[in-house]
Amino acid sequence: MTAQAAELVGGTDTLVVRRAPLGRVLRSELRMVLRRPRTLVGLGLLGLVPVVMGIGIAIATASGETGEGDAMAALVMGNGMLLPIFALSVAVVMLLPLTGAMLAADALAGESSHGTLRGMLMAPVGRGRLLAVKAFGVASVTLLAVVLMAVTGMITGVLLLGGDGMLTASGTSLPFGEALGRVAITVVYVALQVWALAAVALAVSAFTDHPLIVVVVTLGLVIVSGVLSAIPALDWIDPVLVTTSWEAVGEIVRDPISWSPLIDGALRAACYMLIGGSIAYSRMLTRDG
Amino acid sequence: MSGLTEQGAAVVPTAAARTKGLRKVYRGTVAVDNVDLVVPTGAVLGMLGPNGSGKTTTIRMLLGLVTPTAGEVELLGQRMPDGAALALPQVGALVEGPGFYPFLSGRENLLRFAAAEPLLASSDIPGAVGAALERVGLSGAAGRRFRGYSLGMKQRLGLAAALLVPRQFVVLDEPTNGLDPAGTREIRTIIADLHAAGTTVLVSSHLLAEVEATCTHVAVLNQGTVVAQGELSSLLEAGSANLLVSTPEVTLAVDALREQRVPARAVPEGVRVDLTATTAPAVVEVLVRAGVPVHEVRRQRTGLEDLFARLTEDTSTAELNDLDTLVTEDAR
Repeated sequence: MTAQAAELVGGTDTLVVRRAPLGRVLRSELRMVLRRPRTLVGLGLLGLVPVVMGIGIAIATASGETGEGDAMAALVMGNGMLLPIFALSVAVVMLLPLTGAMLAADALAGESSHGTLRGMLMAPVGRGRLLAVKAFGVASVTLLAVVLMAVTGMITGVLLLGGDGMLTASGTSLPFGEALGRVAITVVYVALQVWALAAVALAVSAFTDHPLIVVVVTLGLVIVSGVLSAIPALDWIDPVLVTTSWEAVGEIVRDPISWSPLIDGALRAACYMLIGGSIAYSRMLTRDG
Repeated sequence: MSGLTEQGAAVVPTAAARTKGLRKVYRGTVAVDNVDLVVPTGAVLGMLGPNGSGKTTTIRMLLGLVTPTAGEVELLGQRMPDGAALALPQVGALVEGPGFYPFLSGRENLLRFAAAEPLLASSDIPGAVGAALERVGLSGAAGRRFRGYSLGMKQRLGLAAALLVPRQFVVLDEPTNGLDPAGTREIRTIIADLHAAGTTVLVSSHLLAEVEATCTHVAVLNQGTVVAQGELSSLLEAGSANLLVSTPEVTLAVDALREQRVPARAVPEGVRVDLTATTAPAVVEVLVRAGVPVHEVRRQRTGLEDLFARLTEDTSTAELNDLDTLVTEDAR
């Protein structure tokens, strides 16, 4: 629209709006995020989480301890393909939101304090476009983190805990292919939930120059959600809490899957993304560079 | 998009940048007020002012980084910030110190910003980055992480980023910050090269000698407003021109000159001659004829420093009137 209008008026080369190719900017963003030492350390640690869990469960199994507490943890013994799902269901509560918040904090607040956001605005990368590029970076790397956890979880699970299929919480047994499908569903669902929080974090990130504030606000939101959902008198508020969606991860290991809580969770995540994205966008348009 | 249509009338901008009644208020503090700045196309404009005089705020509004509270900004014929997508690709800027990723090397940092440059074709990026590094003398340190750069190297990298693409307009905010004398000279050379290539340059600096050496135009800011602007030469000439003569025979020289009705007086450095009614060669001729040994003769201009001090330190009414004359004379 802008480009067309400019061409009509000017007709000269200099008046045509030119933009750097989007693919080039997205690649450059990904390369930068993946070279940030913090990102690499975070990804490495997240990848190790299922390995540590697998080792712990293998040791517990070998020493003949009976699984106490978490029903899913008990189910994982001798049921390797369940390990990635178990690991992700644990990580979605705190580790992955922390990762998403950290990435979103660096994306706008961190870059603003380094002065690099100004550089991008002066290139110029349009403000809306810049937000899209940043959101893409955050989303890609959180997805990468989730996939990485699933992969290290599967490898550790199959090697240490064994099992060529998956024993579901309903007592049925799934062949390897279908087990793989369940892991994939978990990856998509957990990634959506992390994106929801990362979108909120991105909105906070658009308002401040201090990355720490973003992380604190986002984790605060997670903790407050957890507290509210634990109070029975406040059950009516559950449908809007992020934590409600996380409980649904357990549904994935039932046979057959009960889709309704998962769909609710996905819709809730979409709402968070829409709200967070809109707030971030409106702020980016007026933010001082 | 009606804004664009209106701009269509002024396709050829006479000024690379222009502001009208520019005002910016940050939480009740007026940072910039009623700034009417003109950066003529092809000029090297030095923006002078004490700390907090609104230089950087004005530059940020010029580049569309900050939305003005009131007033208009035109950059390369485009209304800012709406016309940013049209104007900014032609503008290179180093604002508020260089912003780079500490964990990337100098070259990787430039590659990243080059990727966002609308006017760079993907195949030209490595070449442009190499050339920019070469131009600021950073080729040797290009592989090192930005984190380990000295202040001067950081500044050079910022300059390299501003010069990635041939620009119509280059904005340099305190470009010599942290540079050694050699680096300062190099910046001067770069500005001179840009000027020779027809690029308009806006340099903000607190180093007056710097501005005097490189600029064709000057704008002086104080307390958020432009107190004087115009061609450097006319601003300087507006003060009285003097000739300073070094000689051991001070009395003889003064007498000889006064005999010829040339106003002169003894000063610690020698003899100061007023050039309002005469010329330097005539003065020298008088002195030599009178047998005065002349060791050195130099023209003493008002000097930017004096001008700057007058404009920014003393804001009495008399001085302000003086300013008006300065500015009017310049407009002529």
